[in-house]
Amino acid sequence: MAAFGRGLDRFVGVLVSAGGILVLPVCLLLFLQWPLRDVVQAYSREANDLAQCLFALYVSVAINAATRQRTHLATDVFAQRYSQRTRDLLARAGSLFVLVPWSLFVLCAGWPMAAQSVRQLEAFPETYNPGYFVLKIALLLVVLLILLQALLDAFQRRPRQP
Amino acid sequence: MTELAGIAMLAAVALLLVTTGLPAWQLLIGVAMAFAFGGVIGGVFGLPLLTAMPARLLGLLEQDILQALPLYVLMGALLNHLPFAQFLYRTGNRALAATGAGPALAGLGLGVLLAPMNGSVGASVAMLSRTLSPRLDAAGMTPARGAALVCVASTMGVVIPPSLVLILLGDAMMRAHTEALNLTRESVRIINTQDVFVGALLPAAILLGLCVGVAWWTNRRRMEPRNRQVADDSPSRREWVVAVMTAAFIGCLLAGVTLGYLFAVEAAATGAVALFGFGVATRTLTRAILRDVVRDTLAITGALFALLVAATMFTLVVRAFGTDRWVAGALASLGAGEWGSLAVVLGIVALCALVLDAFEMIFVVIPIALPPLLTQVHDATWVAVLTLLILQASFLTPPFGYAVLMVRHSLRRGMALTALSRALLPYLAAQLLVLCLVLAWPALVWQRNPTTIAPENPAGTVSDDEARRMLEQQLSPPSDESPGKAGKE
Repeated sequence: MAAFGRGLDRFVGVLVSAGGILVLPVCLLLFLQWPLRDVVQAYSREANDLAQCLFALYVSVAINAATRQRTHLATDVFAQRYSQRTRDLLARAGSLFVLVPWSLFVLCAGWPMAAQSVRQLEAFPETYNPGYFVLKIALLLVVLLILLQALLDAFQRRPRQP
Repeated sequence: MTELAGIAMLAAVALLLVTTGLPAWQLLIGVAMAFAFGGVIGGVFGLPLLTAMPARLLGLLEQDILQALPLYVLMGALLNHLPFAQFLYRTGNRALAATGAGPALAGLGLGVLLAPMNGSVGASVAMLSRTLSPRLDAAGMTPARGAALVCVASTMGVVIPPSLVLILLGDAMMRAHTEALNLTRESVRIINTQDVFVGALLPAAILLGLCVGVAWWTNRRRMEPRNRQVADDSPSRREWVVAVMTAAFIGCLLAGVTLGYLFAVEAAATGAVALFGFGVATRTLTRAILRDVVRDTLAITGALFALLVAATMFTLVVRAFGTDRWVAGALASLGAGEWGSLAVVLGIVALCALVLDAFEMIFVVIPIALPPLLTQVHDATWVAVLTLLILQASFLTPPFGYAVLMVRHSLRRGMALTALSRALLPYLAAQLLVLCLVLAWPALVWQRNPTTIAPENPAGTVSDDEARRMLEQQLSPPSDESPGKAGKE
């Protein structure tokens, strides 16, 4: 079980690190929108839609990255005086009793919407470009990664928060 | 009295935030879930309301303005990791040496340029504590004055357009104004991000001028450098060129967005691409630095989006309890008029800002507190600017001001609160002065296209019949519409 946990942790870590690089194409595409619209006078909407898809995927790994790097905003002015054991217990409780049930709820509630969108290969409503379904996949990916990370933090030896 | 549940939720979050030290987003979700469970069990609202959550989260992923968020963070990370901050500080220090307060003024200038692009007040404090504090210390500035300067410089991003805080506040104000107009049925133009940028320009300029004056006055006597090698490190010609070009480039981008020539998203993307190009061309952007930049951008973006996700859940539950309507009713029944309501709401905002970061304020408190206020006070841009000034003042107010707590925490050395408070006092006085000026002369808030003037309906309100007729007119398709488009719609 411990080996499975470590393997899962590594997998999530690699996925998150790889996803981080998406900010560069997002930036490039959003920059190119400008010359594409004003100079080339074509493809700027395509660039925007593609950037939107990549942006959604980027956000889906970003929340997990913040958890792993402990950059979530917190006011630990008083809590820093607690013992390490108390802080670990609080972190485990937060993961297990808050993030696990919440992410399960959103995953279940959002599944039909995402599944239908993927089945139809839903296009962007304003431009009719393909790929809108990627946003709905990204939505499920956000909560799935939050769920996995919360489980890892709750059951691994040393949780990452606070 | 189930409407009061929303107030209890806010109180619970504030209490848990300071006592548990858990991340704010977890606490927001946890408190919202606990109360939602109670609401469903108690029959206040049904479960289907909560199943709207995925659709609301999807809204965050498809909102154009939020694409600016990682780009601004990327720009901030590039400025942070490439040697720009050092260049800017050293050249600023040398250029302003004749004033006798070079280190203080250069430090403040660095904050003015970089804080608007940083993720949050917390991120600005961390960045400026790392880059600025050692140099101010080496220049001979007392720790309390140095810390006060870092506090003030870190919060400049709150008021100087077009910071990330302003972009998101503009968006939050637009939603709050829409909700308020739905309640009052007034026919006025809804505020947008550009209105907030332009409105904040003059008060921000006055505040900046006053802060520069305070920084100069309190640090004008020549200090004895503690580390002469660091303090007298004079910039090379290349550093001068880079610093001037960087400052001019950032200034042009910020001005372009503020004045409406550039979209915030495109300007941020252009800035990041230019900085990236500079790093590659000068070989300062090594593989290791790029890895750090990407990692930091990802983590800060994630922290901000986590907060957005949590706030979406939190505000959904607060509204399900009807707290927003209760607050609007309570404000109206106070009978305190425009000024009384303004004082009450801004007072609550100020109290919340003592323990919450700018983004927590924008995502959680503003959506609940501002719509009721905007039903009573009709100048939304003026309210937005006052909110910004209140937020910045609260961050700087000892002993619990967010920036004060963060600076004392990040410096990790015995910083006497009394000394820090004394050093902050003149800046707070400047802040109070600007707040009073904006309260007394609302015209200081520039409005190129005032939201308070109804363009087509001087009476300002429409009846139900008129509203229905206008809606039907908008919905009826024009005769020359292309069949393809009509079919798709």
